[in-house]
Amino acid sequence: MPTLETEILVIGGGATGAGVAWDAALRGFQVILVEKRDLTHGTTGRYHGLVHSGGRYVVKDPKSAAECIHENRILRRTHAHCIEDTGGFFVVTPEEAESDYPDRFQAACDEIGIPCTEIPVAEALRREPLLNPRISRVFEVPDASADSFLATHATVQAARMAGARILIYHQVEALLVDESNGQRRVQGAQVRDMVSGELVTIRADMTINAAGAWAGQIAALAGAEVRIIPGKGTMVAMNHRLVNTVINRCKMPSDGDIIVPIHTIVAIGTTDEKVADPENLRIEPWEVQLMLEEGEKLVPGISRARVLRAWAGVRPLYQENFTGQDSRDVTRSLALLDHPSRDGIQGFLTITGGKWTTFRMMAEKAVDRACQHLGVERPCRTADTPVPGAEQGHYWLGHRLHEIEEARLQGELVCECELVTRAMLEDAARNNPTVTLDDLRRDVRLGMGPCQGGFCTYRAVGILHELAAENRTAPVTPESPQEEIANSPWEVAYLQSPGRHVRTGSPQEVLESKVLGPASPVTDPRTPVSNPNLLLRDFLQERWKGVVPVLWGRQLKQERLDELIYLGVMNADHLPDEELASPLTDFYLFDTTPGETSPGTTPSGQEKEASA
Amino acid sequence: MTQLIVIGAGLTGLMAAHTAAQAGLQVRIIAKGMGANHWHAGTVDVLGYHPRDSRQPVRRPLESRDVLVAEQPGHPYARVSPEEMQAGLEAFTRLAQEAGLPHRGSDEPGRNLLLPSPVGAARPAFLAPEAQLAGELGRDEPMLIVGFQGLRDFYPQLVAENLGKQGVTARAAFLPLSLVTRERDRNHVQLAKLLDEPERVAGLGRALRGLVKPGERVGLPAILGFQRHREVLASLVEQVGAPIFEIPTLPPSVPGIRLHTALARRLEALGVRIETGMEVLGFHGEDGRVLWVETETAARPLKHRAERFLLATGGVLGGGFQSDHTGRIWEGIFHLPLTLPQERSRWFRPRFLDPAGQPVFQGGVPVNGNFQPVDPASGQPVFANLWAAGNTLAHADPIHERSLEGVAIVTGVAAVKAMVGDRAPANS
Ligand SMILES: Cc1cc2nc3c(=O)[nH]c(=O)nc-3n(C[C@H](O)[C@H](O)[C@H](O)COP(=O)(O)OP(=O)(O)OC[C@H]3O[C@@H](n4cnc5c(N)ncnc54)[C@H](O)[C@@H]3O)c2cc1C
Repeated sequence: MPTLETEILVIGGGATGAGVAWDAALRGFQVILVEKRDLTHGTTGRYHGLVHSGGRYVVKDPKSAAECIHENRILRRTHAHCIEDTGGFFVVTPEEAESDYPDRFQAACDEIGIPCTEIPVAEALRREPLLNPRISRVFEVPDASADSFLATHATVQAARMAGARILIYHQVEALLVDESNGQRRVQGAQVRDMVSGELVTIRADMTINAAGAWAGQIAALAGAEVRIIPGKGTMVAMNHRLVNTVINRCKMPSDGDIIVPIHTIVAIGTTDEKVADPENLRIEPWEVQLMLEEGEKLVPGISRARVLRAWAGVRPLYQENFTGQDSRDVTRSLALLDHPSRDGIQGFLTITGGKWTTFRMMAEKAVDRACQHLGVERPCRTADTPVPGAEQGHYWLGHRLHEIEEARLQGELVCECELVTRAMLEDAARNNPTVTLDDLRRDVRLGMGPCQGGFCTYRAVGILHELAAENRTAPVTPESPQEEIANSPWEVAYLQSPGRHVRTGSPQEVLESKVLGPASPVTDPRTPVSNPNLLLRDFLQERWKGVVPVLWGRQLKQERLDELIYLGVMNADHLPDEELASPLTDFYLFDTTPGETSPGTTPSGQEKEASA
Repeated sequence: MTQLIVIGAGLTGLMAAHTAAQAGLQVRIIAKGMGANHWHAGTVDVLGYHPRDSRQPVRRPLESRDVLVAEQPGHPYARVSPEEMQAGLEAFTRLAQEAGLPHRGSDEPGRNLLLPSPVGAARPAFLAPEAQLAGELGRDEPMLIVGFQGLRDFYPQLVAENLGKQGVTARAAFLPLSLVTRERDRNHVQLAKLLDEPERVAGLGRALRGLVKPGERVGLPAILGFQRHREVLASLVEQVGAPIFEIPTLPPSVPGIRLHTALARRLEALGVRIETGMEVLGFHGEDGRVLWVETETAARPLKHRAERFLLATGGVLGGGFQSDHTGRIWEGIFHLPLTLPQERSRWFRPRFLDPAGQPVFQGGVPVNGNFQPVDPASGQPVFANLWAAGNTLAHADPIHERSLEGVAIVTGVAAVKAMVGDRAPANS
């Protein structure tokens, strides 16, 4: 069993864990981060996409609001290229016309220092013509839209460049707990390589639990009780950029009251429901309908637009001694649990709660405390250290199209909906450990557009198979050369920029023919990335999971076309290697048994396991 | 006055119109597009997998029909006798031959072919265009699968590797796309049209001859010519000195569009008027009869009157059925009753590739033994002069059981025969 040694072990590859690894590495610590699936597998990859100005929480939860605006200012510098500067409106809809909330909102923003300007309704309608014309007041705040996949990759790349090792598809199964000297101490963890199945021991002086909604499970491995209050939220993606500004309703936070423009779509969200299991999330039809109905109040007609897909994430909410019923009432403020003083467990910290927007601050607090325990004084440097790529400035809606046209890459497109070129896909797969196509979806937005993978799934499978045949994909093992990845010419910073991935000596110039060897499986068929049949099945299933809750109208017809392609033309349900599974095969399955749930009642179906 | 208006120009509509024209009716087709012809593999799949047990492909679809019909008495195939099925398929074979795009089946009559799919799975098909026949997996010659470097819709190594896993000897090779074109942004239909030019075919032939080993057969993506497809194929075979076959791939489908074009041209020669780009949005009925259907145009709705109407709009895929977020699903023109689970939560199963398919796609228009849409409660025809055929029909999921073209052809022909009184219904 391989054993690795480090000073700091970080558990969780979401925004928070990535931030901790980055912060600690910049302070000169030896760092290993483990994530059980791909980066952003957890809530970070399933959130609403908003860089909060703090406006949403300013009345109800001013502490969290203050954290948000503080970090909003910093992220715009450190992660500039992961952010689209959309700005945000808080609008007063007819339903709230009589409420005193807008005045309280404005006063609270002033108090905390959130820039908030009331603008004329006519001006707001000029900038957002689809907005409900019956709104009575509009406040402008510095909300923004962010790409959390890119941001987390960029943070992790910055951590790597500072020497951190990142092990994805490595799941913590046990903590190494030492009870000698009458003192309990966490000395690292035992993790399982989810691809090879091998166990790896990681010894560490300090273990930082950044496992989000799973943090309670990790803490339990050390014998500490941490009661995360998992609040599930569902979001619905619409096919068009119906608004270009983040639109919030000016009222106490509730269901379906924000619309966020994200790249080519807008997302309406969210609900907030207590759930039992953060892993298997069901999306109930009523949730989708509620989002559409609430969305109507902000953008009339939105429910008739084409719905692309729905997804859900779980808020890792934490409040010491919370006794309320509604997870909306739990603070959004961050929580650092100091297990040495709280539970008498040395060498172990938990950082949870908070928002995506506050991940950097959460990391700072956690690593500050780790320094105290390790008896060293090293100041935090993240607030002044932009991650690679930030010099590009904020991204904008048309940047991909612009780059494609400028470099004349139309012929290279693998995914026409999201403008992903072959070179982008190849570079992402080659330089970033890839196990499933879903990993590449997060990297380059493969399959996230209107056809939901109908065309690009086959192409991506074919391309990855060709790469594997040439042995050009990155292996994912503890021994994989991290230095090489850290210093590779490929920069995470440009992951999503087609113009940065142009081949010299384009294949157009390849004039000879190329004969390949006899057909035999090119690499180990159990390694998912080199098994095209597994890649294909898993990705089709992943897409299915996201579209089922929203299949009607044109999207239902699209789905039938995808069936014609993958069943009728490809016969993909009768491919060899039917028995093989990837670490994610189970995860893509879901339960469609109708639940008798409606808003307000405790959803009985939530507790069910995905039917295998 | 027009005697029959067929709504829909997929395979169902074309076969129905052809049957009507042969019976001497004056017939028009009105359609939005060309239906599934744009997308499918260009073969005629009659029954590829048994819906209740889809592990192994069906060997003899016409024989398996009896089992299917016994199990599922509502299936569209239950509305036709085995002889009618045979006759319908023969009518298609004759028409395709006349249209210059012959289709054939296995050398062993009645058997399904097994052809390589673009991921290298073995897809069952009953009839295939000439250009796909040499790909039959039961033949002995080893395969050379050839792709083009930089072409995004075909992956020869993937095909060869998967065929290898199923015991078929196959290897892969690439040719430069510049043999066909220097433009990289071309889809397969555009490439096929470029290969109508003999010089390009000659270049391709020379390159292939350098690759192929004696005794091998050569598989290529389906781009071998469009208008001149048969000449292109014949001349390549001659130049290369080996059997050559096409593998259909992602839409737009070259074999499907070739078939549509050839059949439509033939029908027009027989006097059928085909008007596409016209979406039928509504109708007017009186006294249990449809008087006219309406299409939208820029200026005002156009009325199209006829004595009889045949609905061949192809269900969800063809755009014949619509649905909304409240879970409603309806037939878009005549608002015919559908046999569908009305509860949205029962439309789908947890797996995309579920061996039993998705329940929502079993739904459709219930018809009587004469292919007339009926009110499910009374069993009586909804309109005295309305018929329905193809993928609109209830109680089958043709994509799942691989019967899409079979159901289209057989019911398209039979519905018109029933309409003109040229048959005895199989059952009711
Ligand atoms: C519906 C919804 C909408 C939201 N919208 C916004 C928004 O618009 N703006 C905003 O700022 N915030 C938003 N949030 C909050 C924000 O998304 C989260 O606070 C943040 O992403 C949490 O990040 P994290 O890294 O702490 O947790 P996660 O991203 O969940 O990361 C935890 C990681 O730990 C891994 N892990 C778990 N167990 C193990 C194990 N045993 N071994 C190894 N790894 C393990 C998981 O796979 C996971 O990747 C939203 C949250 C939800 C639910």
